[in-house]
Amino acid sequence: MAYLNVDEIEAALEALAAPHPGVSELILLPNRTSEGRQSHALRIGPPDAQGANTVVIVGGLHAREWVPPDALVNLAADLLEAHSSGTGLRYGGQRFSADDIREVVEGVQLVLFPCVNPDGRHHSQTAEPMWRKNRRRVNSGSPASCVGVDINRNFDALWDFRRHFAPDSNVSASDNPCDPQVYVGPAAASEAETRNVVALLDRYPRARWFVDVHSYVPAIFYNWGFDVNQTSNPTMSFRNPSFDGQRGRSSDTYREFIPTDDLRTLQDLGGQVKRAIATASGTAYDLQQSFALYPTSGTSDDYAYSRHFVQGANSKILGFTIECGRSFQPPFAEAEDIIREVCAGLVALCVAATAPSA
Amino acid sequence: MADDVHRIELRAKSLDELRSFLDGSDMDLGCRPVVRRDGADYVVEVYAPMPQVDRLRSARSASAVTMTVVENASEVGRARQSEVGSGNRFAARMAPRGLGIKE
Repeated sequence: MAYLNVDEIEAALEALAAPHPGVSELILLPNRTSEGRQSHALRIGPPDAQGANTVVIVGGLHAREWVPPDALVNLAADLLEAHSSGTGLRYGGQRFSADDIREVVEGVQLVLFPCVNPDGRHHSQTAEPMWRKNRRRVNSGSPASCVGVDINRNFDALWDFRRHFAPDSNVSASDNPCDPQVYVGPAAASEAETRNVVALLDRYPRARWFVDVHSYVPAIFYNWGFDVNQTSNPTMSFRNPSFDGQRGRSSDTYREFIPTDDLRTLQDLGGQVKRAIATASGTAYDLQQSFALYPTSGTSDDYAYSRHFVQGANSKILGFTIECGRSFQPPFAEAEDIIREVCAGLVALCVAATAPSA
Repeated sequence: MADDVHRIELRAKSLDELRSFLDGSDMDLGCRPVVRRDGADYVVEVYAPMPQVDRLRSARSASAVTMTVVENASEVGRARQSEVGSGNRFAARMAPRGLGIKE
């Protein structure tokens, strides 16, 4: 076995969707990448008209993180095969019954977008393995070394970090187009890859959960990445411009507001993912808030969760990032173990999403 | 040709020690700037070419943070490129099979 290349990811999604027309749909994303690639997502679950809640899971935003796209394709293959054959699924010690699988596949919409940044992945797999960003040359006259935008700093969630964060916060972002890692791009959602994720969230008005699978720590993170969470002062939030220039320090008085119920639900769901992973492989993933060493701006998970605060008509989407494994590009035999544990955690989340109380 | 990037483990007894070590260093902090606990230690892995590592080591020699070069990540990545699929295994609409056990 071997890591999927970008052509294989697209072909695999197509091949998975074709035999399961009742419970899957290939979704063409609207924006071509700068190298001309078209991307697809795969919906598993009931058709849109049935009004099921939606779980959106994405991967491959960062090019050098090779395991997540493979994990999401694997998840799709496992769920569709188990559902069609009426079996359960087992990853290591973590078992899901046939009823669990049926309820997931027939009860929620699971939307998988395994490879958000195919240009970057192709470059990492064939040229510079440590490449992280996409491959767009933002300024046509810039040197060859100044290529690419960090997709996971390009979302419209406190994207303008110089305005929103304290100058000494060391926020993980850069407005230097030649920064090799965390260039935020010329504008929020300037990148086709970012807009494809946004389009998916726009398309599913009942999206309730969002997971962005990255590597590595290993850990499960939940909102927010802007600053330390607090639950008592709703006015102290990313929406309040009077706190511009103050966010992101770990030891001052600014804290990011999160409703108590949301925090509890994030921790509860994250705990279920963590336990499923531990049962599958014995690996202890940390569960913690995204803000730890330094703040982040423009990330996908915070964007997903921020949407309903910004516009009340949007559904509330709880955001997670899973940082799987212990290296960017483990030997594939080791990657297979990571794929199993990631899938165990994600199926556990989907099972939780089918609960009547969810 | 860019310098090879090395994977470096930084280990400290507190988050503040790690922060004071890293503040202003412009290091590649991996996927996102987070730490993991390892017993009583806080651990973060960073990526940098060796000249940058050497500069950091000499500039912060009095720090309580220990630095360990784990591997040449660029070299490992180049070797791993041989483990990427060639061609297209699913071009004939043969669907992949997952690793989960169906039972």
